[in-house]
Amino acid sequence: MAGISIAKLCKAFGSVMAVKDLDLEIAEGEFVSLLGPSGCGKTTTLRMLAGLDFPTSGTISIADRVVNDLPPGKRDIAMVFQSYALYPHMTVAQNIAYPLRKRGVPRRERLVKVMDVVRLLQLETLVDRKPRHLSGGQQQRVALGRALVREPRVFLLDEPLSNLDAKLRAHMRAELIELHRRIGKTMVYVTHDQLEAMTMSDRIAVMQSGVLQQFGTPADVYERPANVFVADFIGTPSMTLFEGTLHRQADRLEARIGSLAISLPREHVAWTGGTDTLAIRLGVRAEDVFLGETGEPATVKLVEPTGHENIVLLTIHGMVVTARLAADARLRAGEAVRVGFRTSRLHIFDRDAGTRLNGDGPARVASFRSLQSIGQR
Amino acid sequence: MTRRSGAKSIVATIVTWSVVLATVFPLLWMVITSIKPQQELFTIPPMFWPRSVTLEHYRELLENTPFLKYFGHSLVIASSTTALVLVLGVLGAYSLVRFSYPGRERLALLVLFTYLLPSVVLVLPLYLLMVKVGVANTLLSLVIAYTTFSLPYALWLLRAFMAGTPEDLEWAALVDGASRLGAFFDVVLPQILPGIISTAVFTFIVGWNEYFYALVLVNSDSARPLTTGVMNMLITSFNIEWSLLMAASVMMSLPVIVIFVFLQSHLTRGFAASGVKG
Repeated sequence: MAGISIAKLCKAFGSVMAVKDLDLEIAEGEFVSLLGPSGCGKTTTLRMLAGLDFPTSGTISIADRVVNDLPPGKRDIAMVFQSYALYPHMTVAQNIAYPLRKRGVPRRERLVKVMDVVRLLQLETLVDRKPRHLSGGQQQRVALGRALVREPRVFLLDEPLSNLDAKLRAHMRAELIELHRRIGKTMVYVTHDQLEAMTMSDRIAVMQSGVLQQFGTPADVYERPANVFVADFIGTPSMTLFEGTLHRQADRLEARIGSLAISLPREHVAWTGGTDTLAIRLGVRAEDVFLGETGEPATVKLVEPTGHENIVLLTIHGMVVTARLAADARLRAGEAVRVGFRTSRLHIFDRDAGTRLNGDGPARVASFRSLQSIGQR
Repeated sequence: MTRRSGAKSIVATIVTWSVVLATVFPLLWMVITSIKPQQELFTIPPMFWPRSVTLEHYRELLENTPFLKYFGHSLVIASSTTALVLVLGVLGAYSLVRFSYPGRERLALLVLFTYLLPSVVLVLPLYLLMVKVGVANTLLSLVIAYTTFSLPYALWLLRAFMAGTPEDLEWAALVDGASRLGAFFDVVLPQILPGIISTAVFTFIVGWNEYFYALVLVNSDSARPLTTGVMNMLITSFNIEWSLLMAASVMMSLPVIVIFVFLQSHLTRGFAASGVKG
């Protein structure tokens, strides 16, 4: 595979392990996001890919060549920094030309390439300006231009949109997706913003405390989170997680959450081990909670209208669950309702290990059957 | 403008101009004395403006004294000190800001320690050291001595500028294909240029004007700078050559004034940075 291969990668800062045993295979032309909260090791991983930090152990290969000992300039990569890192004393054109100058590209060829990139990114009117005279979006485009001009094999992007306002961020997100489609190069994108990761990536590597939690498509990490951390981290609003137990019965499974019992088909959980009871955490996405004529009695605790929908906190059997309901569902705090869950989409995790127990393999199409099972014993 | 603020402004202007005049008057007196004929120097009552203007003291100084030799020595000493301090200061400041090693902060504080001691405490050990090393009575001895007390200031000033240069710029240059040294020259140096200029001006002025160390470390005409040289040739126990002394003073002041006028903005920026950042 001619993309990026990371094997058993570790990075320690003193006694702190910033990245632990990371394995990633990124295909050529793939857009992969490293996603996680601050301090999860995503930027450290990117810096090791760039050659700005050296791994404590493990190997990094780019295009089937181990690059651990290569300096950044010889790795055939380009990087866009969170701060853009434009050279303040150089004009836009000089900034974009710099990587070519350092590689000894002749002046005439340099000029042609710079102008190609300038046209591609619509920077024609800005070539003679210094970075301090550019807006955030323009600076971001120049930083992209400096990365593009060398036509590297791999692009590394370190939270490049985080300094932009919400509207410009959405615009630049679309531009980046379009750019990736057009040039088809491998891109590794670091972000803590799950929306960016979900909308732009072919695959997402979710990290926490230096450990890879899950590496999969956006649909995978959303619909089949590998563990409680991924389930909780991915999705807005967050998945509601209940602590409870799962009981194996003759032909069914029963999840007991406080005084609530939910009946599930046997194949819902890949049951291993000899016991008939498991301590679990049960996860419910907000869109898998619905109101109905039947179902369990619940009380509306809080309604957060977002315009196109309502995020509603409901109290059910003394526990709070978040629901995503249509904007026309006119609810008021304190109102009594009846609530059901889409059982086929319930997530079951081992309570101690936090790992996913669902036996679903690839995501199944939701059955959306009404849950008379709620409350059954 | 109200009457009160108008009165305040007038008082402020008077006070400011008084201070300026008090500062400038000796300089003006120096220039005027240097172009007065000898016989007008000691008239009673003293005359401010000369009846006739003459450049004979300048001619005398340039043709019949070792003034130009001393001037050359001072130029070599001040320029060499400046170059040495800049090279050591820039690299040292880079190390203090960019590399992490045990005792880094302590080291930065330690270099300031020499400022806590009076010059007279340092000059004798320094003289003995120069004798031992075999560079006493040479231009090099003064370059080394001036470097020892200019370098701490340079380190701190440049450190403040260096710390204000984002590390991302260097990383970006490395990714763009520059070597570490290339990134330093292409990206870091242009960012700290104001700091380099103000350090250079400060060090040059120190090296040009210094008197005490020159007096102790050099007692031969082969290495005497202007400050001690002029004193040595024009001031004796029996006589002071006032007109020549003033002409020499004017010519000594010119390089510093020219440098200051052209680089004033960088110098004040440097002083501000050393106080605010770091």
